[in-house]
Amino acid sequence: MSRNNILEVKNLKKYYASQRAVDDISFTIPQGNIFGLLGPNGAGKTTLLRMITGIFYPDEGQIIFDGKTFNPQEDIRHIGYMPEERGLYKKMKIGEQAVYLATLKGLSKKEAIQKVKNWFTKFEMETWWNKKVEDLSKGMGQKLQFVTTVLHEPRLVILDEPFSGLDPVNSNLIRDEIFRLSKEGSTIIFSTHRMEQVEEICDQIILVNKGVKVLDATVKEAKQAFKQHLYEIETGQPFAGEENGLFAVQHAHDNIIQVKISEGHTPNELLRYFLDRNYEIYNFREILPSLNDIFLSVVSGTSTARQFTK
Amino acid sequence: MKKIFLIIQREYLTRVRKKAFIITTLLLPLLYMLLIFGAGYIGAKTKPSLHIAIADKSGYFAQQDFSATNTSTLRFSLWADSSGDISKLFEKKDFDGYALIPPFNWENGLNLEIKTNETRGESTNQAIEFRLGQIWEKIKNRKSGLDDNTVATIQQSRVSVNTKNINDEAANGRVAGALGQISGFLIYFILLIYGSQVMMGVMEEKTNRIAEVVISSVKPFQLMMGKIIGIGLVAITQFLLWVGLIVVIYNVAKAGGKTDASAIGGLVGGMQTAFSSINLPVILFFFLLYFIGGFFFYASLYAAIGSAVNEDIRDAQSLSFPVTMLVIFSIMMMIPASDDPNSPIAVWGSMLPFSSPIVMMARIPYGVPSTVPWWQLIVSLAILYASIAAVAWMSARIYRTGILMYGKKVTLKEMFRWITKKQ
Repeated sequence: MSRNNILEVKNLKKYYASQRAVDDISFTIPQGNIFGLLGPNGAGKTTLLRMITGIFYPDEGQIIFDGKTFNPQEDIRHIGYMPEERGLYKKMKIGEQAVYLATLKGLSKKEAIQKVKNWFTKFEMETWWNKKVEDLSKGMGQKLQFVTTVLHEPRLVILDEPFSGLDPVNSNLIRDEIFRLSKEGSTIIFSTHRMEQVEEICDQIILVNKGVKVLDATVKEAKQAFKQHLYEIETGQPFAGEENGLFAVQHAHDNIIQVKISEGHTPNELLRYFLDRNYEIYNFREILPSLNDIFLSVVSGTSTARQFTK
Repeated sequence: MKKIFLIIQREYLTRVRKKAFIITTLLLPLLYMLLIFGAGYIGAKTKPSLHIAIADKSGYFAQQDFSATNTSTLRFSLWADSSGDISKLFEKKDFDGYALIPPFNWENGLNLEIKTNETRGESTNQAIEFRLGQIWEKIKNRKSGLDDNTVATIQQSRVSVNTKNINDEAANGRVAGALGQISGFLIYFILLIYGSQVMMGVMEEKTNRIAEVVISSVKPFQLMMGKIIGIGLVAITQFLLWVGLIVVIYNVAKAGGKTDASAIGGLVGGMQTAFSSINLPVILFFFLLYFIGGFFFYASLYAAIGSAVNEDIRDAQSLSFPVTMLVIFSIMMMIPASDDPNSPIAVWGSMLPFSSPIVMMARIPYGVPSTVPWWQLIVSLAILYASIAAVAWMSARIYRTGILMYGKKVTLKEMFRWITKKQ
């Protein structure tokens, strides 16, 4: 397999007594990628992540980390995991706590202190060192949590709902950090059910539903695969609205109309149709589905709450 | 393995540096000693001096020389008839009270009323009774024709009873029983207090949602064991500091006791003779072995319970009830065992792994190997340490499932299922 894949997951299975949490999921993540793991609540995302972080053992299947079979003992120091259920020791001093968590990852104490200091300076948290977590607001706590996750410069950063509870300013701060980490070669797995953020951040996504992978693509590919052949056209004068076999008007507003091209026709034919009729074209663009639309169309038809098999 | 040391270190340091720990460890024994010795000292220094006038109509007391038995706190003086009406004049003559001794016959004895100018407590009453009793003895002896020296010699010879174990000349049943109960209760308190600290610690990690962050770096077993060992070391630290402080205070008191022959000196001397009949190093050695064993046994159970509990403290109480019952059951076996160390209940109680730390500690002061044979100690410790392995294994399995399980109220039945399920 390619040496450039930081993580390869092959036929991973984890069954609980009452349900199949993860049912035969495979995917690969190239190094430096920002990878979105999407799915509704209870789709099996957290179970999947817990196997990738060595917290759970898979029932079946294989995890390959950086070309070798995943060995939690060894590889864990190259992974930074921010679980959805996250927290810190409330009564412990913040600086001490960050150093402690970093040494648990295998850093020496000296290294850990240096790194914590650097990050605290960068995030303007220097004055926090001797404070306790209980003194922090929720957003500040999240920021600290993020710092403790990436402190040891992991090659694979796993963030489960990293933006929940963050205000726009801190959201941007962390989003920029995610981009920077990826640029420096870290790979990021980003698990969420908030689609706007995925669209903005991720290169590649997989969509999981009921323990099964239902989509595995780049964001671009996914949009292409799920496009509805919708186009928006802005013209100089209102569209007269004659019937034709080429397209159907979805809706019209002033001089802007949205049309759906019929099966077997191309955008060029659509454009030519308007040009031939002497419409002035100000704007012509394809409307691609948002990830939210894709998500809903894939997930819809399945019951919203996960059912327990007997 | 390095990681478990980091966890132990954190658990240990965060607890030992807490103000509450420092205060209870250093101040408790000091305060306790201060209370005992301080109260005695203040009591001795502030005892009011009492001067009592004796108006004798019997003729027996008039011949007595009171000055020989008078002390600074209690003095008797004869009231001369020429001084006038005692009930009206005693205060003017600097007396605090008086006693009228009527003419009497030997059959009825002496019932005295001491009249004082203010209300006196029972201790004053006892002191006066004791002193007058001494004087009365002398009067009786003289009446019988005995001289004081003969009486003193005769009175010194007493019957004293002390049962001795022929296999262990040093053993002393009474001291051993008391020491056994103290050791048993000490282990009981340490198990309950530090066991529940383990449970609270695990619950804290779970409810603060730090558990998953940490076990993405270390194995759940390491986190659990690190916490148990760390808290166990805190318990040992506290125990050793207490022993150390008590030894220091004891020696200071002993030094002080020699120079002024006070009640403290007597107390310390009594302790010294009592302990000389006991093999303290042996007791301490087994105390540590049983303490460590018992602590691991119960702390593992408490850790498993803590991992299964959600925010609700009442769940912790109901789930830990069976464990608490085991401890209380052990205490119930320990009390008769400290009285009769070779009864069946004592022997069985010191074999069962959940009760052996408490019950065996009540038997050991009676003597090893004279009362508790070596084979019993070896079997008991072997069972205890083997069951620790089993309990820790079970608890670890409950722990690794429970620590990540949120929102659901867990029953004991489910916890048992977690033990057997595949990981």
